[in-house]
Amino acid sequence: MTLVYDGTFEGFLSLVYEVYYKKFQVEKILREFPATLILDDIITIEYDEKKSLKVLESLKLKFTKKNFSVILNVFMCDSKEFELNLLHFIIAGFKNQKQLENINLPFVQNIQNLQKELFRHNHKMTGFTRFVELEDGLLYAKIDSKFNVVYFLGQHFLKRFNNQRYIIHDIKRQVAFIKENNFVGVQNVAEFETPKVSVNEEKFSKLWQTFFTSVSIESRKNKKLQRQMVPLLYRTYMNEFHN
Amino acid sequence: MRKDIYDKMQILSDSAKYDVSCSSSGTENNYKTGELGATQTSGICHSFTADGRCISLLKVLLTNFCIYDCAYCINKVSNDIPRAAFAPRELADITMNFYKRNYIEGLFLSSGIIDNEDHTMNLILRTLRILRNEYKFNGYIHVKLIPGSDARLIEQVVQLASRVSSNIELPSDKSLKLLAPNKTKEKVLQPLKLARDISMERNKKPIGMSTQLIVGATPETDMDILNLSSVMYDKALLKRVYYSAYIPVNDDKNLPILATSKPPLLREHRLYQADWLLRFYSFKADEILNSDNPNLDEELDPKMVWALNNMQYFPMEINKASLEELIRIPGIGVRGASKIINARRFKRLNFSDLKQLKISTKKAKYFIVCNGKYQKDIPMYRENIKLDYLKPPKPKELSLFDIDYSAITGEI
Repeated sequence: MTLVYDGTFEGFLSLVYEVYYKKFQVEKILREFPATLILDDIITIEYDEKKSLKVLESLKLKFTKKNFSVILNVFMCDSKEFELNLLHFIIAGFKNQKQLENINLPFVQNIQNLQKELFRHNHKMTGFTRFVELEDGLLYAKIDSKFNVVYFLGQHFLKRFNNQRYIIHDIKRQVAFIKENNFVGVQNVAEFETPKVSVNEEKFSKLWQTFFTSVSIESRKNKKLQRQMVPLLYRTYMNEFHN
Repeated sequence: MRKDIYDKMQILSDSAKYDVSCSSSGTENNYKTGELGATQTSGICHSFTADGRCISLLKVLLTNFCIYDCAYCINKVSNDIPRAAFAPRELADITMNFYKRNYIEGLFLSSGIIDNEDHTMNLILRTLRILRNEYKFNGYIHVKLIPGSDARLIEQVVQLASRVSSNIELPSDKSLKLLAPNKTKEKVLQPLKLARDISMERNKKPIGMSTQLIVGATPETDMDILNLSSVMYDKALLKRVYYSAYIPVNDDKNLPILATSKPPLLREHRLYQADWLLRFYSFKADEILNSDNPNLDEELDPKMVWALNNMQYFPMEINKASLEELIRIPGIGVRGASKIINARRFKRLNFSDLKQLKISTKKAKYFIVCNGKYQKDIPMYRENIKLDYLKPPKPKELSLFDIDYSAITGEI
């Protein structure tokens, strides 16, 4: 049986409710109704506030803090098909929390690996995110990332840019982490004018590029290794790779 | 000619690039509300150069003027190269601006010796003071201590820096005399010992220190190098030793002429592997090398060599071996071992379970028993295993069309 839900976390909780009480045998979960014909039962699950809240309450009650945050984290891996594994993970967790440590179960391993991938990706992004200084001193970073990590990144920079105002803008997902004087948090950003950069910006960007080229040792050159360490998908907004 | 800031950056980072160390890890989180900068325990790489090395810190020399004449060093006084110097405030400003754009994790500051040792150390100290006290910068700062400078200066630098180091460069006093006539082993170790004593007095944890050894410039064996590292680790003098494959930058009659144009990168790699065994796998230096085999094997990694020489410990039962035993199996690291321990609480593991856990058995399969079963293809003898492991991968099956007819018929 194939289930279709609206792709939101709340919608997914409604789906969990339906599967749990109606004992569906789920083979596939989709975020959109398929355009092509599938020879299988397809049920669309509508978001239901009551059902979702009920599931959320019991998740908080039955799941350890750690396992609950695993669910939230995995939901940030929006470019992967995690739904079916996450569904198994939740249902197994309702029965027995201990089983969620058992990495011999394929879905536990899958979910754990996905979370690791998320953190690994986020860790790389903490290094590869590039800010520019705007006219008014605000630091502005555009990011292009595999997973939805603006919240984690925002938290990371909260420590190091404690006396700065900054915005981390995920262009594709149209969300941004904003730290202004009176607001700290994630917001949807549909449109954002290309801002004016400060007078110093070009100087330091050029200095950085000078540094970047001159620290490389010619006789040890290894472009393949560089590609491995900074895969192309991270390079979209890294100024040292665009001269 | 007056040099602009870009020239300075070019010259001074070019001169600093032979320092390998670029780690920003191992410090505790130290951010303060309302201030700039924090360190991350894991360390963060901010970019990777065309040679595949991580850029974590802004690694520059304060100046590449130098009064010393060390044969291997590009900045030696007798070299005719462009020279430049940063003013302390200039460098501090660049650091702050790079940090705000998230280019770097902090600063790696080293310097050639200008005028004398104390003057140089003073300039470094001034840069540190501007960053820490004036700009309230809490990011990572690594300082190369200047051997032979005053103890009071070193004391102040140690208080402000996140990590300090002093490069031993050459593994023996004899080599130092030959290639670095202005340095002695005592002199290069002096700042490290001083820094350790100072930080031990202040708080219980000594400040992280590292050093660098050049590999392949002098005739020392890998055993000499590894013994030196292991002594340093044991004395808690150092947190980390870096190995740098010798890259010829000068012509000198005392320096070796490399057979190939490439630096000895494989030897460097094997030394790092052996170093990891010392630091994270509780190996002793004499387990890895001894006077009969003073150099590391180029074909096989040091753990594999150890295992082949100590077959009495193998095969190990994956389901029974302790963590300490598991990490001695070639191909199984700390991570893999803890995965095994975690998984075997729920079931007895066999070969396919290892595969499912994504643990590679390419090397390990010769040394383990899974649930009483041993792989059947290769007899458990040293030579057989070595032969099998090193044999080239099976060529793809030839199809009729792939055959190179020209080789048979002579046609072109």
